[in-house]
Amino acid sequence: MIVKVLYFASAQGLANLKSESVRLKEGSSMKDMAAEMLRLHPDLKSIERTIRYSVNFEIADSDVTLHDGDEVAVLPPVAGG
Amino acid sequence: MKSVRITRQPISPARVLASVGGKEAGGAVMFVGTIRRRSGGKTVEGLTYEVYREMAERKMREIEEKVRRKWPVLKIAMVHRYGHLKVGEVSVAVAVSSEHRAEAFEACRFAIDAIKGTLPMWKKERFKGGARAWVKGTPIEA
Repeated sequence: MIVKVLYFASAQGLANLKSESVRLKEGSSMKDMAAEMLRLHPDLKSIERTIRYSVNFEIADSDVTLHDGDEVAVLPPVAGG
Repeated sequence: MKSVRITRQPISPARVLASVGGKEAGGAVMFVGTIRRRSGGKTVEGLTYEVYREMAERKMREIEEKVRRKWPVLKIAMVHRYGHLKVGEVSVAVAVSSEHRAEAFEACRFAIDAIKGTLPMWKKERFKGGARAWVKGTPIEA
């Protein structure tokens, strides 16, 4: 399956791209996606522990199962307002 | 005017406040956030806000729903700007009207705190001299 991954703020700078399609095994979890992301973009390891993820616009824990076509976002600590 | 909005255009606090007005209201409370010159002992010239727009708009609508479940507010408006902003410019405005002032104050405070905690937005400071850095921020709340 393929998920769309969006990178924001410092994550965008470290991955050096705004978005990409990532191929994962069927039944992969958010945790599997994060491992694949770090394999593709090792520089993200420097902020890995501060990152949270959303799946289809909702904050997702690492055990959430992903599906083909999901939109995953890589969210560094936020600073709106 | 839509009650929640993310925009690149300058925010007019007067228009946001007017949008929550009405003859049922006994008053309105508004919070206006502006770009501060001093940050961590350095002089800031401006900020660039980045946003995950679709998620941020959904989160703002969720904040409105939460406010309406907790307080009997009449109207609520939330506008957040993104893109390049200069010191002194308005980055965010939240206005709430209600029959009585107590719930308007509480709801407005809740909404701006929720905006800061749950919206997928980031800001990069531009310092005097040209250096730039992402503001450290806090982990996004679910």
